[in-house]
Amino acid sequence: MQKHDDDIIAAIASGQVEAAIGVIRVSGKGSLSLLEKVFSKKPPYEHRKIYYGFIKDKFGDVIDEVLVNIHKAPKSYTGEDLFEINAHGGLVCMNKILERLFEVGARLAEPGEFTKRAFLNGKLDLSQAEAVAKVISAKTERALKVAERQLQGQFRSTLDDIRDKILFLMAENEVRIDHPEEDLSSITQAERLKMVSEIKENLKKIYRAAKYGNNLFNGMVLTIVGKPNVGKSSLLNLIVGQESAIVTDIPGTTRDIVKESFSIKGIPFSILDTAGIRKTEDVVEKIGVERSLRAIDRADIVLAVFDSSSELSDEDLQIIEKLKKINSEVVAVINKSDLGQKIELSKIPFKHKVQISCKTGMGLKQLEDKLESIALKGFSDRELISLNASQMESLKKAIEMCEQLEQDIDNDIDPALIGVDFLSLTDYLDEVIGRITNEDMLEVMFKNFCIGK
Amino acid sequence: MRYPKSYDVIIVGGGHAGIEASLINARLGMNTLLLTIALDSIGQMSCNPAIGGLAKGHLVKEVDILGGEMARNIDETGLQFKILNRSKGPAVWSSRAQADMTAYRLRMKYTLEHQKNLDIKQEMVDEILVENNEVRGVRTNLGNEYYSKAVVITTGTFMKGKIFIGLNTYSAGRAWEPPSEKLSDSLRKLGLKVSRLKTGTTPRLDARTIDFDALIPQPGDDEPIPFSFRTKELNRPNIPCYLTYTNEKTHEVILKNLDQSPLYSGIVESVGPRYCPSIEDKVVKFFEKKQHQIFLEPQDEKSTEIYADGLHTSMSYEVQLNFLRTIKGLEKVEIMRPGYAIEYDFVDPTQLKQSLETKKIRGLFLAGQINGTSGYEEAASQGIIAGINAAFYLLGKEPFILGRDEAYTGVLIDDLVTKGTKEPYRMFTSRAEYRLILREDNTHLRLAEKSFRAGLLSRDEYEMIMEQRRKIEEVIKRLKTTFIFPTEETNKKLKMLGTEIIKTKTDLAKLLRRTELNYDKLRELHPELEELDKFIKQEVEIDIKYEGYLTMQKQQIEKFKKYENLKIPEDFDYTKVGGLSNEVRGKLMEIKPTSIGQAMRISGVTPAAISILMVYLKKHNDRFKNSA
Ligand SMILES: Cc1cc2nc3c(=O)[nH]c(=O)nc-3n(C[C@H](O)[C@H](O)[C@H](O)COP(=O)(O)OP(=O)(O)OC[C@H]3O[C@@H](n4cnc5c(N)ncnc54)[C@H](O)[C@@H]3O)c2cc1C
Ligand SMILES: Nc1nc2c(ncn2[C@@H]2O[C@H](COP(=O)(O)OP(=O)(O)O)[C@@H](O)[C@H]2O)c(=O)[nH]1
Repeated sequence: MQKHDDDIIAAIASGQVEAAIGVIRVSGKGSLSLLEKVFSKKPPYEHRKIYYGFIKDKFGDVIDEVLVNIHKAPKSYTGEDLFEINAHGGLVCMNKILERLFEVGARLAEPGEFTKRAFLNGKLDLSQAEAVAKVISAKTERALKVAERQLQGQFRSTLDDIRDKILFLMAENEVRIDHPEEDLSSITQAERLKMVSEIKENLKKIYRAAKYGNNLFNGMVLTIVGKPNVGKSSLLNLIVGQESAIVTDIPGTTRDIVKESFSIKGIPFSILDTAGIRKTEDVVEKIGVERSLRAIDRADIVLAVFDSSSELSDEDLQIIEKLKKINSEVVAVINKSDLGQKIELSKIPFKHKVQISCKTGMGLKQLEDKLESIALKGFSDRELISLNASQMESLKKAIEMCEQLEQDIDNDIDPALIGVDFLSLTDYLDEVIGRITNEDMLEVMFKNFCIGK
Repeated sequence: MRYPKSYDVIIVGGGHAGIEASLINARLGMNTLLLTIALDSIGQMSCNPAIGGLAKGHLVKEVDILGGEMARNIDETGLQFKILNRSKGPAVWSSRAQADMTAYRLRMKYTLEHQKNLDIKQEMVDEILVENNEVRGVRTNLGNEYYSKAVVITTGTFMKGKIFIGLNTYSAGRAWEPPSEKLSDSLRKLGLKVSRLKTGTTPRLDARTIDFDALIPQPGDDEPIPFSFRTKELNRPNIPCYLTYTNEKTHEVILKNLDQSPLYSGIVESVGPRYCPSIEDKVVKFFEKKQHQIFLEPQDEKSTEIYADGLHTSMSYEVQLNFLRTIKGLEKVEIMRPGYAIEYDFVDPTQLKQSLETKKIRGLFLAGQINGTSGYEEAASQGIIAGINAAFYLLGKEPFILGRDEAYTGVLIDDLVTKGTKEPYRMFTSRAEYRLILREDNTHLRLAEKSFRAGLLSRDEYEMIMEQRRKIEEVIKRLKTTFIFPTEETNKKLKMLGTEIIKTKTDLAKLLRRTELNYDKLRELHPELEELDKFIKQEVEIDIKYEGYLTMQKQQIEKFKKYENLKIPEDFDYTKVGGLSNEVRGKLMEIKPTSIGQAMRISGVTPAAISILMVYLKKHNDRFKNSA
């Protein structure tokens, strides 16, 4: 379907978790006449008023008893006519209301689309919108806190330090060019190199903080492999629970049955191919090793389950061989340790090993710690940040540029060429630390160097 | 009287901007009138007796390829020529010449006098005549009204000029010349924003009282290179400058007498340039520096007046004399003219389009120091652009605009009209982002095409330059496709040339990239290579040795152009764009950027505002034409 910025959009605004009251938000030009079609209370609807009534289906039957609040353009969050339906009938009921709204012409809002409209209608500037979007998209409390902290600019001081160093080095380089006749006591080559290397190290640190920070925001993909009966299904139940704690899929759309999402220590995870693992009460399906290995290419972390109470079988060895070749992190989960240990741990070549019992729950905490340390690499929440893909790409190039700069300064090449390096560096860092203009550089130059005839 | 003859274009002011504007209009066939306060000071150098210098040399050469006079004039009147920054890479080489001020000025005057289509009159313009926001002509102090379709104002430091020497002040346009008291009021009345700036100059000393033997002579280059691509041979003397230094005693005299400085006693409040501070400024701001450089420069081949570069000051006469005499070589010096500071009216350049036409009044162009710049070269380059655009305006042609990726002149004008200036604006190479491409040596190569298309370059000159370009490309191609092999003989030769031997088949371009090798050495290795003209050889070497960086710079330009090519229509309505703060919206409405790229350079316009603007323009795609 072609999507336009002037369609009427609707979505559940209260999150997907079961809550006593759910909110459905609808926005767009003409949304109020759409309300009229489904709501027992007829117009006039006034700005900032709340109306009580029923949402009815196309046959006139009541779907739910609701309160509707009205926000008229341009004073609403999105800047458009907007209303919110507060329903208390639970997810199923909310989905029915949504479907009813679709029938009369609304469409499902894409993630962040309300914010996007607010931005397009001048309700937010981009940096606010970006920040809000990040906060909105945070899937867990912990990610939300990190996003908010980044919003409040705690990571700013690192950026300012990088910026100051770059500006100083640029100014220093320019002085060599524009004022060669001045006997300016400039810093030594070693000092320049040291500053570049500090910039580089800081950029690398940001890169890593963002790489792992993004794990916190975007979550990580797990898969469970192992021979039949080793305890995959039990493990899944243990870490996810019988039913998934968080469903990211949007109700009403086709549900991606092979993926389940949950969080461990505030880090979102999802498990691929759960359909192949989960067993319902009536169907006892034993899946083969082949199927169990199906999703390993798409996973960030592979949980390889082994049976502690018996020696490694051929099938186990076959799995080990396969997993040795992949790039994802592998965690050997030694299950059934309540039954004793016959397995020879030294034959399992993976760095991460956790002994566990799905039956008693022993070792679960260690497994969770392990997953956290793989996802966040020991970064504290204070250090973690989130950057988008293009910022990450730019950072990477900026780090490479620092390496080139080190080389060029070391070889003491023409300052004009070093200037080209700096221009590329600042070009790359544009999106991350903000634009550095020649004017900024001149400012630093005049402040630090006595220039002029 | 209403003057019986009417003109296409009137130029107000015969300084460095006015000269170029006058000549180019007359050369483009416009019926042109130059009005200036004093015919005897046409082409006068108000300050240092030199043309060019870092980044300024680039401007002079750009003026030259666009049909200007400055380069030719200095080639004929220079006292020494020097390439600065020779020890650094070619991107920042800059030509500089000491000028015989008197000869420079007179040659300019004669050139103007012998130019077809150009009338020259000594009159002061008091008022600009405007009807329906369109310029009609000017009225002068003699009561004469001259009519024209376009006017270019280039009045330098003259509008309400006020000079300070110590605590004495008097009104003047420059040293002893009368100021223009009325013109800026007329501009204000037309709705233009006028403010004050300040600059200063140094004392002129008597050569007979300087002990040159105690000082370090600074001659020009032995093999001087001319400014103009048209000059085939330079036939000029090589007269040295002399280097000396201030010392702690000098600084002490200055610090003890700060109350004698109009700057520090609070009399002068306008802003002077940060890069060209007075000696009192330098001593105060860089307290820890024990000495500052002073260059003593000849002003004129025959005169004994010496210009003391580095000693801008507006201290009292007595203090000037006292601190001068603490300096080595100047113990017995006599001042011929004291240094002074001057405060003057300038027009906020953000009121101009890239063509240097005012946004408010059609046909009215401004160029030179009136736009907040400082320096002869900055003035000349604006003069020629304003001049060309005045002519193009009359001819109904699209404005002639140089981009930041094309010329220093483009950087200069874009900076002025986009950001304005709070201090006298001087060109630096660091203002240009793409200086590896915008080199001085390749000025005529890079601008010939544009100049020729605009009718500023003759066909013969154009063909000559294109031939050079072809030759350079041909040689580069040959070097890249000529291979040598690791034979014993070749490696013996390489060793003799002081470079590493080769182990595999290697092309000559790759060898040329080695620092220790150049084209002539390659010829020793491979005698089949032809002998080349000096200039061609230099360009080939630059292109090959810097290829990696040139490529990188070209990519940077591509990125830059992406935003330059996102055009914003002239009638774009910013009030319709939500989400912009009032401050940002105000700025955009004032500057009226022609592209997203330009909008990004306006100070205070945040990246967030740019995103909103881009989203908005894209949304209204029908009105948002990507001109690329
Ligand atoms: C004291 C002083 C110090 C300076 N120091 C430096 C320096 O250190 N470095 C540097 O690069 N530059 C310096 N300059 C600046 C440099 O001299 C100028 O930037 C340059 O000359 C400007 O050129 P212009 O064509 O704009 O104006 P000018 O060269 O000033 O010429 C203006 C012309 O306009 C004429 N004119 C003015 N008003 C009228 C009128 N109403 N009607 C008719 N004609 C009029 C005048 O007679 C004059 O011929 C200094 C200038 C001064 C005065
Ligand atoms: N004693 C013990 N039995 C377990 C443990 N984990 C799983 N099992 C049992 O092992 C059998 C196979 O488990 P299941 O999860 O279905 O294995 P899968 O085929 O790999 O999914 C079931 O009978 C489980 O109850 C454990 O930690 N200890």
